[in-house]
Amino acid sequence: MKVALAQISSHLGDVRKNFDLHLQYIQKAKKKNADLLIFPELSLTGYTLKDLVEEVALSPDTNPLFDELKARSHDISLVIGFVEEKERGLFYNSAAFLSEGKILHVHRKVFLPTYGMFEEGKFFAQGKNFHTFSTACGNTGMMICRDFLNYGACYLLFAGGSDIIIVISAAPGRGIQAKEAYETNRMWELMGETISRFSTSFLVYCNRVGFEDGKHFAGGSFIYNPMGQLMAKASYLDKELLLQEINLDDIREVRKKWPYKRDDRPEIILEALKRIIRNYED
Amino acid sequence: MKINGPFVEKILTAFIKEELSKFNFKKGILGLSGGLDSSVCAILASKALKPNNVISLILPYGEAFSEDVKDAKEFAQFLGIKSKIVDISPMVDAYFSRYPTESRIAKGNKMARERMSILYDFSAREKALILGTSNKTELLLGYGTIHGDIACGINPLGDLYKTQLKQLAKHLGVPEKIRKKTPSAGLWVGQTDEKEIGLSYDEIDKILFQLVDRRMPKKEIIASGFKKEALEKIISLIKNSEFKRKLPPIPKISARTVGHDFLFPYDWDK
Repeated sequence: MKVALAQISSHLGDVRKNFDLHLQYIQKAKKKNADLLIFPELSLTGYTLKDLVEEVALSPDTNPLFDELKARSHDISLVIGFVEEKERGLFYNSAAFLSEGKILHVHRKVFLPTYGMFEEGKFFAQGKNFHTFSTACGNTGMMICRDFLNYGACYLLFAGGSDIIIVISAAPGRGIQAKEAYETNRMWELMGETISRFSTSFLVYCNRVGFEDGKHFAGGSFIYNPMGQLMAKASYLDKELLLQEINLDDIREVRKKWPYKRDDRPEIILEALKRIIRNYED
Repeated sequence: MKINGPFVEKILTAFIKEELSKFNFKKGILGLSGGLDSSVCAILASKALKPNNVISLILPYGEAFSEDVKDAKEFAQFLGIKSKIVDISPMVDAYFSRYPTESRIAKGNKMARERMSILYDFSAREKALILGTSNKTELLLGYGTIHGDIACGINPLGDLYKTQLKQLAKHLGVPEKIRKKTPSAGLWVGQTDEKEIGLSYDEIDKILFQLVDRRMPKKEIIASGFKKEALEKIISLIKNSEFKRKLPPIPKISARTVGHDFLFPYDWDK
């Protein structure tokens, strides 16, 4: 199976322009025979939206642009980032998985960073679930950017049986150093390596590039295999279509040696969590 | 505090290119002083936009700093960017002949605002976006004139400390003569930043880096070998210059107010 990551730079607040950009990348990825094409967080809208959130929000079930994207998902599965108006007046930072002309799943970002330079909690409603769903690309779980830095969220996709964990991101680079990378590039890669290795599943991270209000999105999209080995990595600065062949049978191979999945005990974790929560409610 | 020259160069040139294209500018314009900061900005702009799209204005006050003017001119020639000398002394002298002052700072501020006014005028004439040249050290200490040298369209250098800019200048091939100059705001002849602040840039930047980037508690900064007085001085400079880094406060009386809850991105629809 061939996975493609569209490391693009979206136009802030211009859904129509971004839609056209998506079509270009879909065409490119199809030419390269990709089975799955992943776009970054808020790929249809841009990231630093602030009060523009309500203007660019859409409902994927009724939106005509989404109908066109669905129509293009027959021979390639797509992951799209967008602002979703799920309930009237509630806006989510969402990721949709499109395949066979349908929306298979929408993940709504749970952990909305609201500190320092981030203010998502001011503008978005919080998602409530991490769900593993079945696709032609295997059992799939999705996370959005900051979700991935919560290892409880990663655990839920592992416990849910994800073969492939997809993270879409609009992560600004922070911390210049002597090395040719931001300090934060290492943070994402460390998480990619760790989660892929200890969930024994594929980890696909698609970040964006470009600038918004001086924030520099630091690319570096990557794919790790279930052994925790880096398979492909995009540039930290440039637009790119990153392509990588992956084989889901690798999961079977690695789980023979490292049976973390077999030995997992979600019921014990759940009971322990309940006890922790009960204690802090006292 | 060490930076990767090629990496930072790529980021900043990409930033200049992208911002100009978002706001439909082909050309960038900047004030060239013959010092380190504006030289770095000019070289980044010439790499990002091609030299013929960069206009440098050399804005001396009469014959003062003639050596710097010569350096600026030579550097513009070396880069192949356009340069123009506009003497600000007639405008500044006309004003102070009516409203005389002995304050060197008042004169320096007026000159900085005169330069700003000329830059904005040429920005409109040439349809060129103004590239700022204030570094992170200056912005944090408030070492710049509000509505003067701090004013600009975009500021590519604003997140680099002076000592990091020196590293970048070396990587970019800024001539040694410019790199080795004693940093000066050029407010008057013989003025140097370090003398005026009372600390070396090396020391200032190390303290700022721990205080701002690392968010270290004061106690730990002192324990790591810095004098309490130096640290206190820096903190007080930062506190007293916050107004230079913000838009002025507006009393909020309506339902939705500029600067409070009318919240749109700078790059709105770009």
